[in-house]
Amino acid sequence: MLEEALRHFINPYYIQVLTLLGIYIVAAIGLHLITGVTGQLSFGHAAFLGIGAYTAAICTMQLGVPYLLALLAAGVMAALAGVLVGFPSLRLTGDYLGIATLGFGEIVRVIFTNLEITGGARGLAGIPRKTDIVIVYLAVVLTIWAVYRLQKSRYGRALAAVREDEIAAECMGVNSLWYKVSAFAIGSFIAGVAGGLYAHFLQYLNPVDFGFARSFEILTFVVLGGLGSLPGVILGTTVLGLAPEILRFGAVYRMMLYGVLMVLVMIFRPQGLLGGLNLAQVWRRIVRGGRPRVPAA
Amino acid sequence: MTWQMMLQQVINGVTLGSTYALIALGYTMVYGIIQLINFAHGEVYMIGAFVGLTAVLVFKANIFVALLAAMVVCIPLAVSIERVAYRPLRRAPRLAPIISAIGVSIFLQTLMLIIKGPQPVGFPPVVANTLYYIGPVRISLVQIIILVTASVLMLGLQLIVKRTRIGKAMRATSEDYDTASLMGINVNRVISFTFGLGAALAGAGGVLVGIYFNSVFPLMGVMAGLKAFCAAVVGGIGSIPGAMLGGIFLGVAEVFGVAAGFDTYKDAIAFGLLILVLLVRPTGLLGQPIQKKV
Amino acid sequence: MLHKHRLFTLVLVLLLVAAILGGCGGGQTQSAAETIKIGFLGAQTGGHASYGIETLKGMQMAVEDINAAGGLLGKQVEIIVEDHGSKHSEAASVTQKLITQGAVAIIGDPTTGITKLAAPIAQGAGVVLLSAGAVGEGVVEFGDYIYRDTLLDRVAVPVVTKYLAEELGWKKVVVITSKNNDYSVSQTALFKKALADNGIEIVAEQSIQDGDQNFSAQVTAISQKEFDGIVFTGYYTEGGLFMKEVRSQGLKQVLVGGDGLLSPVLWEMGGEATEGSMVFTGFAADPERATGKTLEFIKKYQEKNGGKLPDMFSAQGYDAVMLIADAIKKAESADPAKFKEALRETKDWQGVTGTITFGPDREPIKSPVYLLEVKNQQFAVKAVLDVK
Repeated sequence: MLEEALRHFINPYYIQVLTLLGIYIVAAIGLHLITGVTGQLSFGHAAFLGIGAYTAAICTMQLGVPYLLALLAAGVMAALAGVLVGFPSLRLTGDYLGIATLGFGEIVRVIFTNLEITGGARGLAGIPRKTDIVIVYLAVVLTIWAVYRLQKSRYGRALAAVREDEIAAECMGVNSLWYKVSAFAIGSFIAGVAGGLYAHFLQYLNPVDFGFARSFEILTFVVLGGLGSLPGVILGTTVLGLAPEILRFGAVYRMMLYGVLMVLVMIFRPQGLLGGLNLAQVWRRIVRGGRPRVPAA
Repeated sequence: MTWQMMLQQVINGVTLGSTYALIALGYTMVYGIIQLINFAHGEVYMIGAFVGLTAVLVFKANIFVALLAAMVVCIPLAVSIERVAYRPLRRAPRLAPIISAIGVSIFLQTLMLIIKGPQPVGFPPVVANTLYYIGPVRISLVQIIILVTASVLMLGLQLIVKRTRIGKAMRATSEDYDTASLMGINVNRVISFTFGLGAALAGAGGVLVGIYFNSVFPLMGVMAGLKAFCAAVVGGIGSIPGAMLGGIFLGVAEVFGVAAGFDTYKDAIAFGLLILVLLVRPTGLLGQPIQKKV
Repeated sequence: MLHKHRLFTLVLVLLLVAAILGGCGGGQTQSAAETIKIGFLGAQTGGHASYGIETLKGMQMAVEDINAAGGLLGKQVEIIVEDHGSKHSEAASVTQKLITQGAVAIIGDPTTGITKLAAPIAQGAGVVLLSAGAVGEGVVEFGDYIYRDTLLDRVAVPVVTKYLAEELGWKKVVVITSKNNDYSVSQTALFKKALADNGIEIVAEQSIQDGDQNFSAQVTAISQKEFDGIVFTGYYTEGGLFMKEVRSQGLKQVLVGGDGLLSPVLWEMGGEATEGSMVFTGFAADPERATGKTLEFIKKYQEKNGGKLPDMFSAQGYDAVMLIADAIKKAESADPAKFKEALRETKDWQGVTGTITFGPDREPIKSPVYLLEVKNQQFAVKAVLDVK
């Protein structure tokens, strides 16, 4: 309804691209909570997106579940998977956890390819279109607000403590396993909801869309924007999410440009576009007329 | 499954696994020294395969010249990648070089897709299709060449690492990067050397796989790279014998998985094994345990 | 440090410029329809690029022919080209972009997956989508704007299987399916039914995957059975490599499969081992025997491409544009709502790939089915099977 009205003002192609961007932002914020805030490396985020997408699609198509309830179910299923992945984080740290999640993600993709209910390699078509740009950006705002509040809470400080120094956090009485697993669960829940939005937006799902390439894409959004910075994640996703469309002038060379862009940003801003910047502080300085102090690269 | 068939599958598996091992060595050596998962390594392997193919198609080279050409071209390629995309990030946050590596990987894949097109190119028959029978077990000339070449290369690598000055420097840098640099080791040179060494092996691996499976294409490095990386982790990342063991272990497991009827889950076998090994022995089969520093 | 920041700013500025340029490119919404625009939905980069590039070549040839003959309804025809890089999520955006740029028809992606993704968008916007290659099930069911001009496996498989049973006397076969390939999975299902109908027994089934290079395990498994031939429903790369392994394990049987195998890559991969392999298809470039439109198309294509023979994709791309042009002429309107009705009426239409009729379910019925055989590393026509 609202989208219908918007279509008169905005080019439908832009609506298409921006809606997809919004879905990516939600998914990336999920990873932000896991990797950016809690410091748990995940190379398998697309799997949660996929679990959510297939769950939501199957719910609405085969079980007749209402759309919003299906989104919730998508989140819950992904969260359950997140808990499953979170437990090994007790034993595995750093790169090793990343590698294990990479393996998990690939296994999930192979399972999607082999299951009957997901349509296998043929993919799942005929999902009703329920997602529109208004719902997506409502979800974006809601997610940003929720994660912002979470980061500012006692719980969020404990997550940051686990990231900074797990052993010190344990000594201070923080049960690091609980925080790591719950961060995985919440982050996956968010990704699962994003998956549900994705399924009811594109109306077609294929396992190849949820492989490691997508996982790395989302990780790149988060790191390139500035690991641990919520505005950074949004900026990083926006820049990289729009890049393939913007770089269309590069014709067949556009993905080469995309690769170069990734390398250049990392070399000149290793901490990410907004990494290490306190935006509130920068804003105050601008208002007062001072020059923001950029930490040395 | 009869025991003849089983033995046959072991040979198939070991051949496949030794190609994984050649790629895995590059991952493991680089990780051992600068703790970087070099996601562009699979692309070096792919380019090696194309170089070997060009050598055979255009210059009518034989298999050994093709191998050598691939190794020679891959060395400067990998050294330049390190110079441009990783060295500026040596003191950067942990994830920055990984993202940079993914960027390089996307760049190289697209470059080769533009130059060569996405279709696999067949390898001209540089090796006669001869079959040998050892009792009931069949082994082809290609398989023999792969096994022998891979063994020779890995032996050579062991000699370089264990017996030469630069090999000693590599081991020292791997043990403790900062101390090694304080002891007068030129770590930049050591790192370049390590990248070059890994690339030479991957390039050779690319040519061997190209000949074995008779197909070379721009996206061949993606799955092969990822699986070789799994092999490195299964064997214990940072450990050279571990990478060899991991590669062969993975190759055999995969072939048996397929033979047992789990063919559609083939890719999952490698990754499932990976997770299993990580959970039971987080540092891999031959890796050294990490100390939790307080 | 300063130096670094300046470079960084430079990169940002470059990006901004790119953004503006890109924005302008997408902004031409309401142009007065001086030309009739046909969108190309396909890949110029990524894993499916070769299909997309060939489809586009055929489309461009058709447009040249139409424009040289004075255009359509007094207007020139123009193709809008966008590349989706073989990615699903981008294909949706590209479809939308083509529609926004005023395409009245989209000549669709040759893959079934992306066609299914684009179909609801085209249907919703009231733009005709004609896929030049999608063979999977459940494509035209998306709505009355969705068409395809391919030889469907459900038309071809029964005809070919009948030939295997009656003319070649096959009684036992093994079936090889590529499990991550929707084309292969659907074709296998059709073959299973057709084989049963013709009294051919399946003695073994093996699965492979697209991208596999090593088939030793599967071939070792089938080598234990006795059979007359191999039904292989995957693509040419795997087909060639599979046959190579079959021969290297000393088996003598030949393979039969669909147009997924139709490419010289088949013998580039498999060499000698693919001799005698049989492939069915709706189009075969055979300059010796072709006549009329088909011969003209082959010659023109060869002139433009240095003597190379056209493949199925370029021919289907050509026919797709011509089908749309034909419908627009009959409807005397470039309004999709009008010419889609004319398209539906298409009956015994002669294209370069054969005759096409859209049945009551809007699915194409194409005749004939060509059964080709690999002979001296060339496809030679083995049989031409009429579809009743």
